[in-house]
Amino acid sequence: MSTMFADTLLIVFISVCTALLAEGITWVLVYRTDKYKRLKAEVEKQSKKLEKKKETITESAGRQQKKKIERQEEKLKNNNRDLSMVRMKSMFAIGFCFTALMGMFNSIFDGRVVAKLPFTPLSYIQGLSHRNLLGDDTTDCSFWEVLLKSRRTCNSCHFLRSSN
Amino acid sequence: MSGGRRKEEPPQPQLANGALRVSVWSKVLRSDAAWEDKDEFLDVIYWFRQIIAVVLGVIWGVLPLRGFLGIAGFCLINAGVLYLYFSNYLQIDEEEYGGTWELTKEGFMTSFALFMVIWIIFYTAIHYD
Repeated sequence: MSTMFADTLLIVFISVCTALLAEGITWVLVYRTDKYKRLKAEVEKQSKKLEKKKETITESAGRQQKKKIERQEEKLKNNNRDLSMVRMKSMFAIGFCFTALMGMFNSIFDGRVVAKLPFTPLSYIQGLSHRNLLGDDTTDCSFWEVLLKSRRTCNSCHFLRSSN
Repeated sequence: MSGGRRKEEPPQPQLANGALRVSVWSKVLRSDAAWEDKDEFLDVIYWFRQIIAVVLGVIWGVLPLRGFLGIAGFCLINAGVLYLYFSNYLQIDEEEYGGTWELTKEGFMTSFALFMVIWIIFYTAIHYD
């Protein structure tokens, strides 16, 4: 196995592990807490209630009805904000992990070609994909591009998506 | 006298109105399936896109298919296959989910990132050793 391919696999593997670790941290700090479960259930219940009310309201609905809906929307907004605050704890922990990871990758892979791109990236992306690499071959790929694409894939896959 | 106990069937999971709960993935290939839970259907679309991204990434990397053609091909096939699935095969009402564009967007960028990773890995491994 060539060094280049081994580097690519290693970067992807570490990205996946980091994403799993991040989900694990989030689960421990956020998802399993009673406060989060209660808030989430409340937000879902209120959203469904609001949606139903909006479907039944007519154009000639009185001011009272409209005010009631506004109050419910405000309540939903507050609950959503509280939910975001609860998630904040895990975001700090994940941010710290990611910063440490970047430092580690930089020291190992800086200046190394870790993959060959099957296309020529756009000029503003070359700043990232060809970062700190020697030569003019723009299909040479630095670890930044592979890492960011892997992170994008892992972060969005939401390993706990269906339960959250 | 009839002997022996009747073998008890395992309890079937039931919804409040008495209907049987059907597994999501058993509904996927049935064109007459009803999708009461919108999030469930969107999840199916999402994961279908990821599967297409992996398959196309492998094929494009092995062939190899290079350049803009590879990227454009992925976008067209990904969007086209899912569109044919939910529009022609399942014949769902797109307006219930916010329109065709919302369904096309669901999971698209994630699948694109996944496709790129797989494509780059296979291309590097097979053609640039």
